Amino acid sequence: MHVVVLVKHVPEPTATWSFADDLTLDRAAVEGRLSELDEYAVEQAVRLVESGLDARVTYLTLGPAKAVEGLRKALSMGGDDGVHVVDPAVHGSDALATSLVLAKALQHIGFDLVLAGMASTDAEMSVVPAMLAERLGVPQVTFGGDLAVDAAAGTVTVHRDGDDATEEVVAALPAVVSLTDRTGQPRYPSFKAIMAGKKKPVQTLTLADLGVAPEQVGAAAAGVVVRSVSVRPPKQAGQVVVDDGTAAAVVADFLVARGFA
Amino acid sequence: MTRGMTFRLLVGLLVTAAALALAGRRLHVLYRLGRLAQPVAPGRTTGAAAVLRAEVVEVLGQRRLLRWTLPGLAHLLTFWGFLLLGLTIVEGYGALFVRDFALPVVGRQAWLGALEDTVALLTLASVVVFAAIRLRHAPAREGRRSRFFGSHLDGAWLILFMITNVVWTLLLYRGAQVNTGYFPFRSGAYASEAVARLLEPLGERGNTVVEHVGVVLAVTVVMVFLVLVVHSKHLHIGAAVANVALARRPRALGALQPVRSGGREVDFEDPGEDDLMGVGKVEDLTWKGLLDLASCTECGRCQSQCPAWNTGKPLSPKLFVMGLRDHALAKAPYLLAADDAARAALPDAARAEGERPLVGTAQENGVIDPDVLWSCTTCGACVEQCPVDIEHVDHVVDLRRHQMLMESAFPEEAGIMLRNLEHAGDPWGRGGGHRLEWAEPLPFEVRVLGDDGADRLPDDVEYLFWVGCAGALDDAAQRTTRAVATLLHEAGVSFMTLGGAETCTGDAARRAGNEFLFRMLAQANVETLDAVGARRIVVTCAHCFNALANEYPQVGGHYEVVHHTQLLADLVASGRLTPVTPVETTLTYHDACYLGRHNRIFAPPRELLGAVPGVRLAEPPRTRERSFCCGAGGARMWMDETIGTRIGHERARELLELSPDVVTAACPFCILMLGDGVAAHLGPEPARPVEVTDVAEILLRSVLPARAAEPAPEPAEPAEPAGGTTP
Ligand code: SF4
Ligand code: SF4
Repeated sequence: MHVVVLVKHVPEPTATWSFADDLTLDRAAVEGRLSELDEYAVEQAVRLVESGLDARVTYLTLGPAKAVEGLRKALSMGGDDGVHVVDPAVHGSDALATSLVLAKALQHIGFDLVLAGMASTDAEMSVVPAMLAERLGVPQVTFGGDLAVDAAAGTVTVHRDGDDATEEVVAALPAVVSLTDRTGQPRYPSFKAIMAGKKKPVQTLTLADLGVAPEQVGAAAAGVVVRSVSVRPPKQAGQVVVDDGTAAAVVADFLVARGFA
Repeated sequence: MTRGMTFRLLVGLLVTAAALALAGRRLHVLYRLGRLAQPVAPGRTTGAAAVLRAEVVEVLGQRRLLRWTLPGLAHLLTFWGFLLLGLTIVEGYGALFVRDFALPVVGRQAWLGALEDTVALLTLASVVVFAAIRLRHAPAREGRRSRFFGSHLDGAWLILFMITNVVWTLLLYRGAQVNTGYFPFRSGAYASEAVARLLEPLGERGNTVVEHVGVVLAVTVVMVFLVLVVHSKHLHIGAAVANVALARRPRALGALQPVRSGGREVDFEDPGEDDLMGVGKVEDLTWKGLLDLASCTECGRCQSQCPAWNTGKPLSPKLFVMGLRDHALAKAPYLLAADDAARAALPDAARAEGERPLVGTAQENGVIDPDVLWSCTTCGACVEQCPVDIEHVDHVVDLRRHQMLMESAFPEEAGIMLRNLEHAGDPWGRGGGHRLEWAEPLPFEVRVLGDDGADRLPDDVEYLFWVGCAGALDDAAQRTTRAVATLLHEAGVSFMTLGGAETCTGDAARRAGNEFLFRMLAQANVETLDAVGARRIVVTCAHCFNALANEYPQVGGHYEVVHHTQLLADLVASGRLTPVTPVETTLTYHDACYLGRHNRIFAPPRELLGAVPGVRLAEPPRTRERSFCCGAGGARMWMDETIGTRIGHERARELLELSPDVVTAACPFCILMLGDGVAAHLGPEPARPVEVTDVAEILLRSVLPARAAEPAPEPAEPAEPAGGTTP
């Protein structure tokens, strides 16, 4: 069985982000990391193999040259190999274009089960898994809280936690499943595993390899245009009122001044 | 030769030959075991002058043992007794060959006879003292509080018994010698003469028999003793001498050692295929490590000071060392087996020992339980106390290193801290963007690198102020940071901070065993510090201090690092800061392990407090070198403390017994832990609130005119878990 996990290299959420002239996130200016939410999908894939599933685990990413670090991180947690789709034309792509490239890449490398995190921690769209399933014409189960694979029956069983109930959903493989952060703490790879991860094979593919035309992707092909980006001003420290008998009046004035009265 | 002399010689030599064979075989096994272990770091075996001094002070003078007056004195007597009794052994062997053998030159002088007899009697007296101590502090009576808890008690009693045997057999044959006229001393040996009077009724023949048998008995007892010694904890008699000679100087505290494999430092960028990452099997210790184990006397001095042990946790440094040693010895046949076939032929018990995991739970048949390994705060109290210079902290960290780097097996909560360090550069996971918030309330501008467009420290900057993660991000520690900044500002010391360019020094990562992450952080910081041209650095955190001053040289960073208490004490002494406003309080000071024991900074904080008018300083019972940990060191800050009672609460209890108004310390993590402990003891509505704060804060109140200092914060809320981490 071939399990493919979609991973994304994202800018460090705790770092200060900046935007380039074309209004895209300046990824070169910040440290990056494997999206924390993708780590849960990686963890589940590795646990499937550890619990006896006879599967090859491949990680697939789309991104600039630095994105290979995300693959390496995933490979340090377990799994077999990585596929990195890198092409300058991809810069500025929206979710539709991203799903197009990923779908082509999945068809190129083959898959039985595609796992993804519930969202990326940069764009936070959560839509790529659904779009992918549509493009590939396979079942999709999103926001799974756990995962069980029955290789003999060719099915995947997932529990989805809703507000009122928990659904148990079964899908026939091949399928696309996105997993939440309640699936289980991702492991902290040992140094030995990090070293082993560095030695695992990573294949690089371009749009040409996948038969995707440059015009189909990138900012020009995007369905939406970002008009402007304004950085949110840093949070101001709150005002501390020490009660020397006048606190009530000070607080009231504060509220009135901000239109709360 | 008379029949008697033939008997003496034959039996004496036979016994000796047998004993030497037995002891030799054992020593050979121990030697081969040592050969199997890892080589020591280069340089460990050099430095002969320091070694010699150490031997004189530690071994001959028994400096550390003397800190514990009565037992120390008893041990000193026994030790010197044995050296002098060595002379009588030579005499005894001489008597096998020559009936009235005497040592050359001084061998017949009355004073020597008197001295030997005195020593024999004093040795007997020490045995009585030891027995009394053992009975009084017997684990059966005192339980965990006893420092002998878990020691090999039978072996210890056996040795006391054997020492008694040495003395009485010696006096027996000497007494008989007096009567038969073969005693080398005409006068002086009063005890032997007293025994002689007792033996007199046996007559000439009787005394001759007693003399022959007595000499043989004396030699036999000594030989049996030798065999017992090399098979028991009393191996320390020999091992300790070598161990003290090879110890880390001045002490095995402060910096941790780099990860070494085969004696060479491991290159984390490009490690060798088979490089060892810490200690995963007992034979991964260096031979010096094994010597440490062999040197342990099971005295329990370490255990009696250990904060983990004293708060009901399973870790005792003594039991840790004994556990490793007993395992190493039991595993020896397995390790020394010539090949797999020989190994398979071993008895089941020996093979099972060979297959035990070094770290594992009772179910896993582990030698060291993970709860033991991860309970250590690396406070160094054990190292400080150990009379034979055992390097507990280094061994604990080496075992953690293997667990961390090879097995990825460690308390889950520590993982949050490690991830935060990796991704945000601080253990709380806040990120560099928050590192300047502490300065916002200050009425003056704090200079930050890069503010003026320059990427190097301007020439007028005297100190780089290393704020540290706690100092930048923790509420209580921010107050300290502001107090220190204000004081420096008042004193006209120009300083600059790195702002968001600073990251964690890596102290906690290193002590959790994650040398890889430590190196990453340290190298990044050294790069930053070198790039900005930092030379003199002032820090408020004891852990930052230790890392920057003692550990960064290992990654190529050499700076002059001062702790804020040192700098402020200098500023007060030189008159650049003048405490004027009286601060009428009773306060106590808690020595941070990483400031005190690890770095010997005891005086500056006390000088500071002493310079403030009105302050009354009450020292806690456990202070300075014997200070009791707050519970935060060794990355314990970032792990749950679920076993036993909380170390910080125990320390707070001790400090509160002094009825202070203020508990002071000079490390942000101590202040956090003690704040929590004090709040827990006082409860939510204390009758008399007790403030927990840094010494700098006290100085600030005195330097600034009254009322100008920041108002004291509300007493800390209890219940914040030690981890304090937000996932
Ligand atoms: S360093 Fe401190 S906590 Fe660790 S074993 Fe020694 S005394 Fe105990
Ligand atoms: S380690 Fe040192 S202090 Fe502890 S029991 Fe052994 S000899 Fe004594």
